[in-house]
Amino acid sequence: MRNLLEIREKVKLLYSRSEFILIPVLKFMLAFLTICMVNGELGYMGRLDNLGLVLIVSLLCSFLPNGCMILFAAVFSLMHLYELSLEVAVAGLAIYLIMFLLFFRLNSRDSVILIFTVIFLGMRIPYVIPVAVGLLTSPLAAIPVACGIVVYYMLTNISANATTISSMGADEATAKLRLVIDGILGNRAMLVLIVAFVITIVAVYLIRRMSIDYSWSIAMIAGVIIDLVVLLVGDLMYDTNLSLGMAVLGSIVALIAAKILEFFRFCVDYSRTEKVQYEDDEYYYYVKAVPKMSVSAISKTVKHINTQRRSVREADEDEDMTIAPQRVNRSVVTERTGGPRNGQSRPYRGRGSGRSVTISSEPDAPTDDYEEI
Amino acid sequence: MLNEDRIVLMTKMASYEQGEGRENMSIGRYFRGDYIALRLLRAFLSGTIAFVLGFGLYILYDFEEFMADIYKMDLLTFAQNVLIWYVVFVVIYCVAVYIISAYRYGKAKKSLKCYYHNLKKLENMYRQ
Repeated sequence: MRNLLEIREKVKLLYSRSEFILIPVLKFMLAFLTICMVNGELGYMGRLDNLGLVLIVSLLCSFLPNGCMILFAAVFSLMHLYELSLEVAVAGLAIYLIMFLLFFRLNSRDSVILIFTVIFLGMRIPYVIPVAVGLLTSPLAAIPVACGIVVYYMLTNISANATTISSMGADEATAKLRLVIDGILGNRAMLVLIVAFVITIVAVYLIRRMSIDYSWSIAMIAGVIIDLVVLLVGDLMYDTNLSLGMAVLGSIVALIAAKILEFFRFCVDYSRTEKVQYEDDEYYYYVKAVPKMSVSAISKTVKHINTQRRSVREADEDEDMTIAPQRVNRSVVTERTGGPRNGQSRPYRGRGSGRSVTISSEPDAPTDDYEEI
Repeated sequence: MLNEDRIVLMTKMASYEQGEGRENMSIGRYFRGDYIALRLLRAFLSGTIAFVLGFGLYILYDFEEFMADIYKMDLLTFAQNVLIWYVVFVVIYCVAVYIISAYRYGKAKKSLKCYYHNLKKLENMYRQ
């Protein structure tokens, strides 16, 4: 555990040191992945499926706000849909606008969650999303999650029916439109997934905010179970063709991902919980303080202090000496190292407190680095 | 002489001002009623546009049938039904926006109170 905590500290340190470059790089990668997925799923307009263009757009997204990433992905998808059929593009645009006007405006801060939802659905591990969102954000983040599910199912439905759509003539404009709208409103699997995810996000959020020990662990386990139960009930009611094996496997992956998130975000030591009670003029206070597990980042300071071998000539100039001084080479090495492990009371508070000082006196040892004292 | 406590406090406050604080400060400029009213006005407008878009899709969904029945149907009753649906939709949406806005305003004010307390603390540090 101690090694893991040290690794965490190193990761945090690395992040804080190179945040200014790391965030644009991550945003670039996310934008690149998203646009590549859109191109891979639709890809009807050949001109957009150009690596140079994708790289330029991803580069733009790396320093623009997160909302621009969604805007570019939406523009790319609409242009592909336009190449397939004008009616489908119009329907897609109307659905995007409705989502933006009604839902997305309410919670534009968590816009990146929509992108993650679409990516995770594409990677067939969507169960990570509700647990992670419930743990890290507020229930309002259910809005971008739901929007992401709608976008994903709309695009996959269009992609699955692309041959039918392209074979339809210009006189079947309403039929094309109907195909897109039915693909959303009549898609029971999508609706069940939205309901399951929204319930899971709210449940995970409520449980992890409770003042109970291991609230995060309980929240993630309960969230996964609730998610599975709602999906199974939905499957029984609407026959959504849910793959139970994949759902269980996805839930296990979700639990592992949630545990990693917990380690980085909420790593506390419940064995050292303190409960205090006090009062002032207006209130009684019942306070529960849970200490965080942490180790100080390892820092080593090595200081060499040496008395330089003074030459006979220098000694003669400085002082009126008739006898050449004896050659002395003295070094003081101050090294800051990891301190002792403090046992059970404070098991993760060791590093950074110890200091060892070595003083050596070697009359004739040859040395190169000197700092006069 | 550098004062470590002052630097720590100033760094925290600068970080707040650049991140979460920016949004909270823009909320904090309004009175509660003004902020919520502005949000409701925007919600009303966007709800209306969204309803028009949804209604357009509904008409286009069954356009041939709609055009075939347009002379048979009672247009006044149809318009009345559409109006009722519109009012119900906009009211539900505005209620949701009201709840969210009130919650956000309360949260932002609480956060700003803490920020102003820190400002006062910083001022006292300079006076000492």
